[in-house]
Amino acid sequence: MDRVNEDRLDEALPPALGAALRALDARAAGQAARVDVDRVAARVVERLRHGEVERPRRLLGLSPAALRAAAAVVVVAAAGLVVNLADRSRPVEALQLRAVIPAMDSLSTSQLEAVLEATAQLQPVADTAAPAATGTALDDLTESQLQTLLASLEGAES
Amino acid sequence: MGAPAPAVAADGDLIAQYLAGEEQAAAELVRRHATALARYLAAQGAPDEELEDLTQETLFKAFRSLATFRGGASFRTWLLAIGGNVLKDRRRQWRRTQVVELSPDLRDPSGDPGAHAEAEWAAERLQEGIGKLARLQREVFLMRAQQGLGYDEIASGLGITEGAARVHYHHAVKRLKAWIA
Repeated sequence: MDRVNEDRLDEALPPALGAALRALDARAAGQAARVDVDRVAARVVERLRHGEVERPRRLLGLSPAALRAAAAVVVVAAAGLVVNLADRSRPVEALQLRAVIPAMDSLSTSQLEAVLEATAQLQPVADTAAPAATGTALDDLTESQLQTLLASLEGAES
Repeated sequence: MGAPAPAVAADGDLIAQYLAGEEQAAAELVRRHATALARYLAAQGAPDEELEDLTQETLFKAFRSLATFRGGASFRTWLLAIGGNVLKDRRRQWRRTQVVELSPDLRDPSGDPGAHAEAEWAAERLQEGIGKLARLQREVFLMRAQQGLGYDEIASGLGITEGAARVHYHHAVKRLKAWIA
């Protein structure tokens, strides 16, 4: 194991500071020796192999349920199925979200996050015109169709 | 006559191999540098229970941004600099969650304060002092005094001038000397 460089200590450090640093380094070396290097190597390689991306800070701390709900909102918006929110007389949004959220259960957390990231640049729903096809509920979308939508969203971002 | 010792690949060769798709080169680099990195983080006060995770996170971030590694500093120095950033970020999280770092005395209820060696007290006192230094002073001091790096190497790793590295080091020594006196 590497140790405090004695030459550097002799060169510059006052004796009391040098002694304290040796004691601190000995303790740090003891802590470092308890790190399982092979386990670290395996985990790093595994994360690199799977192309793990760092999670955006804004998503950290969201529960899976909240993440699903957020992703559902975004998918509904992206699919153009939410009517203008200014029209308070139409309760369609809640109905559609109830349909989408269970469908989101089949997506992994990373996929859900990809949905959110891919659509981060969308304009607010309330600012868009109501699409004509609001009669098409997301009940009709199968898991594979949702996956396709996810892929298209990811493609749109890249 | 024995078999010749196997050649040890330089870090640069392993980096090139990893970038060419050989993931075992990454594993070898981890094995080569993880302990020194962990020791550096521990000297900065990284708690025992977080040390392995901090080490792993630093190495992962390093490999993820390997394309930006220009080779001005050694791979290890570059890792230490990233480790300093990871530790800084993690400290922010700890502060937000109000995690209180307990001193070794408090962690071990069976510990007899009177039995602690003078060296242990000095180590504790120094770690407190290091924690009070400005970040660059702290990192330059440990890179120089603990890791044995030259000023040129430290300067490259931290993105500062060699003169600035010297100044940070001497300020750190002055403050720590006063702290432990």
